[in-house]
Amino acid sequence: MASETAFGRPDPDEPDLEEYRLRARQWLAANLQHREAGPAGVVRGGGTHSAEEYLPERALQRKIYEAGYAGINWPKEYGGQGLSDAHARAFAREAAPYRMPDLGHAGGTTYGPVSQTLLRHASPDFLARHVPRILAGEELFVQLFSEPDAGSDMAGITTRAVRDDEGSGWLITGSKVWTSGASYADYGLCLARTNWDAPKHRGLTWFAVPMRGKGMSIRPVREITGAAEFCQEFLDEVWVSDDEVIGEVDQGWTVAQTMLLVERGAGRDDPVNMPETDPAGIDPFLVDLVRAAGRAQDPVARQALARIHTADWARGQLGRRITGLLRTSDKPASGIASYWKLAAGVYNPQRARLMLEIGQGQPLVWRDDAGQRAALEYLNSRVWSIAGGSNEMQRNAISERVLGLPREPSFDRGRPFSEVQRSAREWLEKN
Amino acid sequence: MDPELSPDQRLLRETAERFIEASLPLAKLRELIEAGGEVDPAYRREAAEVGWFAFLAPESLGGGSVSDAGVLDTVVLAELRGRYLQPGSFIDTNLAVATLSREGSEEQQAKILPDLIAGEAAVAWAVADPSGDWSGPAGVHAQAVPGGYRLTGRKGLVVEAQSAQWLLLTANTPEGPTQFLLPVSTPGVGVEELRGLDLTRRLCEVHLDGAVVDGSAVLGRPGQAGAAVDAQIRLAAVLGAAESAGAMQYLFDLTLQYCKDRVAFGRPIGSFQAIKHQLADSSLALEMSHAVVTAAAQAVAAQDRGDQEAARAAHAASLANAFVSDAAIELAHNCWQHFGGISYTWEHDFHLYLRRLTVDAALYGSPTWHRERVCQLSGV
Repeated sequence: MASETAFGRPDPDEPDLEEYRLRARQWLAANLQHREAGPAGVVRGGGTHSAEEYLPERALQRKIYEAGYAGINWPKEYGGQGLSDAHARAFAREAAPYRMPDLGHAGGTTYGPVSQTLLRHASPDFLARHVPRILAGEELFVQLFSEPDAGSDMAGITTRAVRDDEGSGWLITGSKVWTSGASYADYGLCLARTNWDAPKHRGLTWFAVPMRGKGMSIRPVREITGAAEFCQEFLDEVWVSDDEVIGEVDQGWTVAQTMLLVERGAGRDDPVNMPETDPAGIDPFLVDLVRAAGRAQDPVARQALARIHTADWARGQLGRRITGLLRTSDKPASGIASYWKLAAGVYNPQRARLMLEIGQGQPLVWRDDAGQRAALEYLNSRVWSIAGGSNEMQRNAISERVLGLPREPSFDRGRPFSEVQRSAREWLEKN
Repeated sequence: MDPELSPDQRLLRETAERFIEASLPLAKLRELIEAGGEVDPAYRREAAEVGWFAFLAPESLGGGSVSDAGVLDTVVLAELRGRYLQPGSFIDTNLAVATLSREGSEEQQAKILPDLIAGEAAVAWAVADPSGDWSGPAGVHAQAVPGGYRLTGRKGLVVEAQSAQWLLLTANTPEGPTQFLLPVSTPGVGVEELRGLDLTRRLCEVHLDGAVVDGSAVLGRPGQAGAAVDAQIRLAAVLGAAESAGAMQYLFDLTLQYCKDRVAFGRPIGSFQAIKHQLADSSLALEMSHAVVTAAAQAVAAQDRGDQEAARAAHAASLANAFVSDAAIELAHNCWQHFGGISYTWEHDFHLYLRRLTVDAALYGSPTWHRERVCQLSGV
């Protein structure tokens, strides 16, 4: 939900909070539906959704906004409530049993990394225009970040932004990919190259690009699972006004670092965002799977089952430790947060393979949901090993920023990006 | 270091570290190993003065801890002991202190407990059979005889029994498992010191050839030691994992420094991604190990609050031990590879850590044993 970020006021006195909690409880009971009672939201992961499907969800977000429960710990001047993180947590706890707006991937992106990044880097004028509309559910953002030829090497993007003839804006051309929620979002936070003579990190700029603007075309990408959750965008001279530049021109990498950090989990600096890991709470799906396979007494399957549970629980505890380290360590948060991401990237595939081992034939052919679910988890298991910075990028971040190891010598640092591209082409031709 | 330590616990850690540095640093431990000698009993008495054996006994029995939870303080010490490969009976004696405090007779509490807390005597916990079954009574049978019991059988993987004064032993009786606390000097008790992988401690096999003890040697109620053994396993699993995490941290730091200093192909080897990435993986394993030790210690500290807490403690202890044991061996092998040729020399400290970590991984239940236990605890 929108409010779990960490830039609110210091914590208030307890009685103050108690009164707030009580009022929130009353408002929720009078205005929202319980999870079970309410109509289900848009189903995630089942194809590309139309803008119309999200209209009721946007209306629900607006209702919460108008009641003063959106952006609880966001700055007041931009439509937030200017209250503390404790207020936001209190509301989130009270709201847990209720049907909150399901704005899908674009919602998660908008109220998470995008908002945190904008609040830190965008101009007051930009924030005054966009943030109230974000909180009201009128503007949903997606990230136009990765490109077909730039994944881990994010600073190597080649989408270009050039000045328009009038000198009042920019024309953006290129292609972006792995965008979730593009089919119904309003804006894309787009990274483009504005200077080709500067080293690759120093010629990048962020723009808020209208997703329905002239020159923008969006196509779904069919994925490994058969579903189409992501899109690819083709930008052909999409015009963006100067007012929609975020941060300084050519200084986009600073902004990008904030976003990457938030994505990697440094934004999860609040224990309520950590998975609740009960050491006695072995995943019931796995227990059912081992029983359905008739292997509950098979020592090999039992070992695999306990291996999964051990790693699940250990990952939850790692989350707690990271919270502590972010508070006390002198190492940069960008490195510490990478532990969380690397753990997901390493253990998810292991978990999925062990699940296949436990389930024997079930995840291979199925009549019921259990086999299909196991198979889907298998296919999805490497998402976090690759997306949002691959395992290898996390290992670099940990070894360089936390462990203090030297960087590999590189071919692209400190040289104009156009020259880097030229030498890479020459390398390919020679070898 | 654990970011959740209180200021008092930080002070405890500093004091304990100073004690180790002054009395038995690695260099001195090496001399002992070379000479085939054993640490002087004064080491144990001095350690006791800093509170090493007091934390799991209540103040009313002469104990007391730094924080309110003695388990957490004991974990701080265990982690340091692992870090500096300290010998002697620490976990076993503390298990006995906890058990005596909980269910010892008045006589046992008066006669034995003060000596343990003061470091005058040490305990060896004889629980596993020689094949490594840690469930409790395996390996030894107790037969009722007039006025007492006759003990017959063998226990294995008993830590530092050669220098212990007491044996904490679980045996089978027709009524169920029964615990005994008996002097090692009891006629019919034999301690066979075995040569082994770990050079920092001795592991023994204990032979019971019809040793006769009277009723005063029974600890708790006869036939009902199941709960006591479970509590001991939980504690031992957590403390053992804490020792490993401490040793892992030291070995990792040593390796990291080596990778920054060693130059090959014109660069520090720590600048090669092949090395950096393995170090990052080891570092992740290490952070997760610290995390599970903290979590399991807190779960065990809370185990008396209710059934749910007790179940959580049992799970957490086994999960933590299984995780850390695997992680420790993985990490040690990565370090082994990074050190290259020098790891094969006797002079380098690497092998001391490899040996200790490998033995620790199997002590108090192997990862496989603990995983099976987790399945049973979960009702699978």
